Amino acid sequence: MTGYVLRRFGQAIVVMFIVSVIVFAILHLLPGGLVRAQLGPRATTLAVHDLTVQEGLNKPLVVQYGIWAWHTLQGNLGFSYKLNQSVASLLGEYLPRDLLLVGVSLLFAIAIAVPLGVWQGYRRNRPDDNALSTVMLIFYSMPSFLLAVCLIVVFNLWTNLLPSTATNFGSGLGTDISVLALPVMALCLGNVSYFSRYIRSATIDNLLSDHVRTAIAKGAAPRRLLARHVLRNSLSSTVTLIGLTLPYVLSGSLVIEALFNFPGMGLLFWNAAQDRDFPVLLGVVLVVTLATVVGNLLADLGYAALDPRVRLR
Amino acid sequence: MSTGVAADSRQHVLKVEHLRTEFRLRSATVVAVDDVSFEVGEGECVGLVGESGCGKSTTGLSIMRLLPRIGHVTGGRVLLGDRDLTALSEGEMRKVRGNDVAMIFQDPMTSLNPTATIGVQVAEPLRIHFRTPKRQAAERALEVLNLVGVPNPRERMNDYPHQLSGGLRQRVMIAMALTASPKLLIADEPTTALDVTIQAQILDLLDRLRQELSMAVLLITHDMGVIAGRTDRVMVMYAGKTVESTSTNELFGATRHPYAQALLESVPQLTTSAADRLPTIPGAPPDLASLPGGCRFAPRCRFAEPACRAAEPPLEDLGGGHLAACIHPVGGPSERQANGLADAAVNVISGPAPEPAAATGPQSVAERRAALAEAPVLVEIDRLVKEYPIRRGLGLGTGGVSVKAVSGISLTIRRGETFGLAGESGCGKSTLGRIVSGHEHPTSGAVRIDGKEILRLKGSELRRGRSELQLMFQDPYASLNPRMRVGAIIREPLLVQGSGNRRQQWERVAELLDETGLSRRAIDLYPHEFSGGQRQRIGLARALALSPRLIVADEPVSALDVSIQSQILNLMKRLQGDHGLTYMVVSHDLSVLRYLSDTIGVMYLGKLVEYGPAEAVYTAPAHPYTHGLLQAIPVPDPIVERAKRSVAVRGELPSPVNPPSGCRFRTRCPLAQELCGQAEPAMQVFGEGHVAACHFPLQTPTAGEPPHPLA
Repeated sequence: MTGYVLRRFGQAIVVMFIVSVIVFAILHLLPGGLVRAQLGPRATTLAVHDLTVQEGLNKPLVVQYGIWAWHTLQGNLGFSYKLNQSVASLLGEYLPRDLLLVGVSLLFAIAIAVPLGVWQGYRRNRPDDNALSTVMLIFYSMPSFLLAVCLIVVFNLWTNLLPSTATNFGSGLGTDISVLALPVMALCLGNVSYFSRYIRSATIDNLLSDHVRTAIAKGAAPRRLLARHVLRNSLSSTVTLIGLTLPYVLSGSLVIEALFNFPGMGLLFWNAAQDRDFPVLLGVVLVVTLATVVGNLLADLGYAALDPRVRLR
Repeated sequence: MSTGVAADSRQHVLKVEHLRTEFRLRSATVVAVDDVSFEVGEGECVGLVGESGCGKSTTGLSIMRLLPRIGHVTGGRVLLGDRDLTALSEGEMRKVRGNDVAMIFQDPMTSLNPTATIGVQVAEPLRIHFRTPKRQAAERALEVLNLVGVPNPRERMNDYPHQLSGGLRQRVMIAMALTASPKLLIADEPTTALDVTIQAQILDLLDRLRQELSMAVLLITHDMGVIAGRTDRVMVMYAGKTVESTSTNELFGATRHPYAQALLESVPQLTTSAADRLPTIPGAPPDLASLPGGCRFAPRCRFAEPACRAAEPPLEDLGGGHLAACIHPVGGPSERQANGLADAAVNVISGPAPEPAAATGPQSVAERRAALAEAPVLVEIDRLVKEYPIRRGLGLGTGGVSVKAVSGISLTIRRGETFGLAGESGCGKSTLGRIVSGHEHPTSGAVRIDGKEILRLKGSELRRGRSELQLMFQDPYASLNPRMRVGAIIREPLLVQGSGNRRQQWERVAELLDETGLSRRAIDLYPHEFSGGQRQRIGLARALALSPRLIVADEPVSALDVSIQSQILNLMKRLQGDHGLTYMVVSHDLSVLRYLSDTIGVMYLGKLVEYGPAEAVYTAPAHPYTHGLLQAIPVPDPIVERAKRSVAVRGELPSPVNPPSGCRFRTRCPLAQELCGQAEPAMQVFGEGHVAACHFPLQTPTAGEPPHPLA
């Protein structure tokens, strides 16, 4: 097990290194270079020269990468001239909100999808399974922004139960919950349908497997069968999927945040993209890739924890 | 042994009366078990035997009510003591399963939960049925694991199934079945997935437990040898019906139903020599959805007459409780002809011994040997070594740890010869087959076909070289592309090699279909429209398309039923004669190899331990391992089987990562002494072309050096 964990960590570090090189390269491929990007096309040659020297951009690329990587590792991700704030402090302000939004929606998705998928698998091809499958297919085929619009129509325009914007976020727990409800739902429903479909088929595969037949032959009742012999086995094949979804949920939140005006990283990214605020954009890209790598790592570790056969590899 | 309790109905543990099980398919309702009755007494072992699809497993599952969703018991009663299991509610039935009746299944690799420890799984029946506290249940689990002979059971309790070998897993399955001390054990093909050496150990274990615990055992198997040695009474099933039911001694001594008789005869035996031709049963078992009228076996029976097709014969007592369902039951014991039966195309099953056809019949063993001695060498295997490195830790470097699959094997195969390679699973025989067929590179050493190393060839030479050797696979279901029509499958090698034009290629395909006994209509059909045996014929037709000189066949018939197996084996022999083919046959089944091979090699843990002419190796094995393997094969003869009292080869195959020093077999050898651990035995000669590597051989070595290249 230790060997497996170390190996996965080693691989994650290698991936992060490669990604950092790519991000660094993008930074330096900007038309006119970093300095022009900051000072604009009408800056004088002298000003450009000064800033180049000041920022160490006349040094060899390898040295520059070393310096940049060193700074990044220390949490110094550059400075946003547009917002007049360091990128690190911007991320420090926006990222926790995203972790909350994404984390909560993912948790809800899993909490709903697992029992739902197992139940559907157990009741496969019966009317209730078919009905649930149909509903899930509808959610699955809707893009998240359309789903969000539908939710706003139902819960805000028709019933006025929940607010349609999240601008009030941060003014107390009660408001936070009501404000987050719709964005969380919009992000979560698509994933519920996605996960539950997988868990359903994994459950069916397991229910038809030889070891479950053995358990039935031992006299196990359905409840025990599902809890002891099916759930863990089905989860081990879906946990990878959940880990891999993390970056998609993050990027999905970009649209949802813009739609609900939720002050998260998505909104930060959206504004930065419109303002050509490159340090911020790159900071967000770095965070998203880190999330992808971490998601992968967690999926691998979760898989190993659930399936003893993987640990040996 | 408790024979003759059939009449005594008071003692029965299980009594099945007129059981009828239906499968409701979308297109039709199929009666998988039709009016089946039998009983099993305390401490008695009753065998259910038949080919796949005959309803034997469905009978077992019906008793346990473990049928798949589409299956339903629609008639009859299953009495466990006085209780009718078919009348119980699902909740009541659950209390019976694993408690009063336990079941063990064929595949120990998939029948255990991969994510739970052995201890938890073995203790589970007690937790389910008696809510026994965990600690107590674990103690009982330890006790039964001890009982079934799992070594170091305390440590094994915390292991997961994948950490155990197949044999150990089956022991665990048995332990699990015994935890709650059931009255009846249903064993569905309990040893089919295991090696013969392990099979003998597991069957001994089942026998011992049955006697010690006076359990009733229902043994479901396709293997007549297993039936002969282990059961008190037998029921032979065919197409969902009982065709014969009697005591084991009676069945083998005085078979009455033509099907049972034909089945017994088509089993290749250790005494069947390469010069014989196996009797076969023509055709295949009927489709249950469209059964023939009258007797279900009539279309394949050589005694059939109009009356057989008119009405279904009832199961009648022919005296002494010997039941058979046949209008004209055959006389008594069937005679196995020592020399060639008439042409297999006519499919003689039994009857008076036909004269050996002198001119057209197969050559005698001596003639064949003489001809082969003159033949040029086709395959030369030269000091072949194959090791697979294992990754450890961070996956950087190998640390020198590797699986030693093949450890220095040299031998030659002459043109037209059939070389049979035997050994337990994990001994490296399939690896050797893959290297010879050019599908894997050796770590060192070489394989030369006609003096050329195929894998050293480049470009068009390599392509041409490959066409000279072809493969025949074990699994007829996985080895044909399901999306291609049979015609295209057989034509593909011709396309790849660019041989002939379109018209010539299709002519060749038709020719190949004729040769392998398939209808030309097969061209437009897909593989799933064929049975296992027919698919194996398609595979053979594909292999023959390029007129190869060598065919490497890895377990060519082990996925097939006995009656189909003999058809394929006969076909392989005929094609060899017609085309001068050279075969390398890899198999765990020594009886099959005996029938096919001129020369036999026995491998143990990457080493060749014995090699020689088939009849010499079988009649006078020199290596204790060869002897043990031969001993372990169940023979379809109750007297021979019951006379065997000791397990021939103990324990299990050691790890090929760290093979034992000296002689690799010493850890399981009954004759092993100190010397065996110190020095690796050299090959010694035991007759013409017969060599073995053992310090204490079972035969007296003759003088002389082993012939090149076996030294």
